[in-house]
Amino acid sequence: MDPRQRFPSVVMAWRNLWRNRLRTVLAALGIVIGVVAIAGLGITGSALRYGTAQQFSDITNQATVMPGEDADQRHLTEAQVSAIREVASNATVIPIKEGSLQASSHTAETYTRVEQVTHPSDLYSAHRGTIPQPFRTGVLLNNETAAQLNVTVGDLVIVGDQSYKVRAILAEGGIGFRSSGVVVSPPALDKQGYSSVTIIAEDGDAAQHLANATEARFNTGEEVVRTSSFGGLNQRVGSLFSTLNLVLLGIGSISLVVAGVSILNIMLMSTIERRSEIGVLRAVGVRRQDVLRMILTEATLLGLIGGAVGAALSALIGAVLYNALYSSPMLVFRWASARYLLIGFGFGAFASVLSGIYPAWKAANKRPVEAIRS
Amino acid sequence: MSVIELSDVVKRYNNGDEEIAALKGVDLAVNRGEMVAIIGPSGSGKSTLLNVIGLLDTPTEGTVTLDGQDVTDLGTDGLTDHRRESIGFVFQAYHLLPIFTAVENVAVPSMWDSTVDRTDRARELLDRVGLGERLSHKPNQLSGGQQQRVAIARALVNEPHIILADEPTGNLDQDTGATILDELTRMKNEENVAIAAVTHDEQLTNYADRTVELVDGVRR
Repeated sequence: MDPRQRFPSVVMAWRNLWRNRLRTVLAALGIVIGVVAIAGLGITGSALRYGTAQQFSDITNQATVMPGEDADQRHLTEAQVSAIREVASNATVIPIKEGSLQASSHTAETYTRVEQVTHPSDLYSAHRGTIPQPFRTGVLLNNETAAQLNVTVGDLVIVGDQSYKVRAILAEGGIGFRSSGVVVSPPALDKQGYSSVTIIAEDGDAAQHLANATEARFNTGEEVVRTSSFGGLNQRVGSLFSTLNLVLLGIGSISLVVAGVSILNIMLMSTIERRSEIGVLRAVGVRRQDVLRMILTEATLLGLIGGAVGAALSALIGAVLYNALYSSPMLVFRWASARYLLIGFGFGAFASVLSGIYPAWKAANKRPVEAIRS
Repeated sequence: MSVIELSDVVKRYNNGDEEIAALKGVDLAVNRGEMVAIIGPSGSGKSTLLNVIGLLDTPTEGTVTLDGQDVTDLGTDGLTDHRRESIGFVFQAYHLLPIFTAVENVAVPSMWDSTVDRTDRARELLDRVGLGERLSHKPNQLSGGQQQRVAIARALVNEPHIILADEPTGNLDQDTGATILDELTRMKNEENVAIAAVTHDEQLTNYADRTVELVDGVRR
């Protein structure tokens, strides 16, 4: 069947838009800008959030147990560590001893924080070299200490009064990374008890849960142990970014409102210009609702075109952004980002249709007599 | 039976505080196959009369009957449906849609009616008014006389019972006006349709079967 017969409003609307191509392009441009504002800002927010979540992901599943205010000693005892192991039987429990020792190489020496850990590969990742598993000999240095001592992987250093081979230089960065200069294996530190115990759970919620369970186990009225975990931090950062995104969307929406007003203005002008044509349509028997539909279709087409172009542009901008930040442009199509393309498109089309309602209603209800005469 | 019948039609307008009576009790009946010329000086109410006959305007008092049915008190949509089904319009300024070809312009009245496809009838009518070679031309590619012939075809596409013509020759020179009136007369006979034409044109009254003169809102 002839499309004129099947979709008369669409054919009519399309030809009227085509008749005033420049005006149509300008009206759609307003929607394009609005959609880019919404989708672009939304994608920017989700890109930042993505990067932050990446940095947090290493530590959010950890909880740390330390001696509390009311503890008898300034350290955790073997018995307490065993009790923690009982509580966190499903998780990895890593007791940590800390001390300060002299570290030296052939050319330099420094005084640094030393950490004694049984399973450093659970806490650290290597920037250079590899972390031995199990960890029985050698040391791991952070960048700063390695630079001060002017040594690298394979060199010898003296920590305290023992000589060790450097096995790895530790990777740094991210929020909450550990800052000990030297990591050694037991029994290098001749100290009683542990300064802290790190629990590594499956995820942030489990870590939070184990921290609470540990406190409940030891603290009956007094603070024998103190725990900290990053699960809550992750949530707080999440809600911070949600707020940020809402603000960005709000700013984007303003530009869509402006675009909507400009469409309203353009549609009103165009229906006033065509009032005799519309009057003739009404005179020869075209119903009011058909005139209404025709003009609403014009606004809808403007919104769909503007929305589609805007979403495509936003995807492009997002891909460039993700490429610059994470060298991975296709990340823009993650749902967390891609949904802003849909939201932008939806808002654009909606704003356009909304702006078309009044001009369409006005044109449809104009009396044909007045329209033809004037 | 008359296609349209007006009895004792009064039309008053409110113009600020003042009330103006454009029609002061007009009786008129137009039959099929008859062309009636409505003449009168400016402000005599002849355009108002045409609007009432064409169901574009409703009278303040009196009744309007279309094909024996009282249509005086129909609402906007009811009047629209009657216009689409029974009435054709020819305007002084042609009023074709610039976005449409000749055929599309002729088919416009039933464009939104998915139950009928008048494209074939539109082609046939354009052929009959001598535009068979210009079916795909846009209005700006047609002369004034040709545009008015497209408008006549449009007025006939719905097989109306009456055609309302508002100064159909007003924008045309004498010769072209004559061909348009020939065309209207021929179509009137072929389609057995009533024509009511408002005019200043002496020429038109020569083609009319009957002339109605309106002065100051009443027939004379």
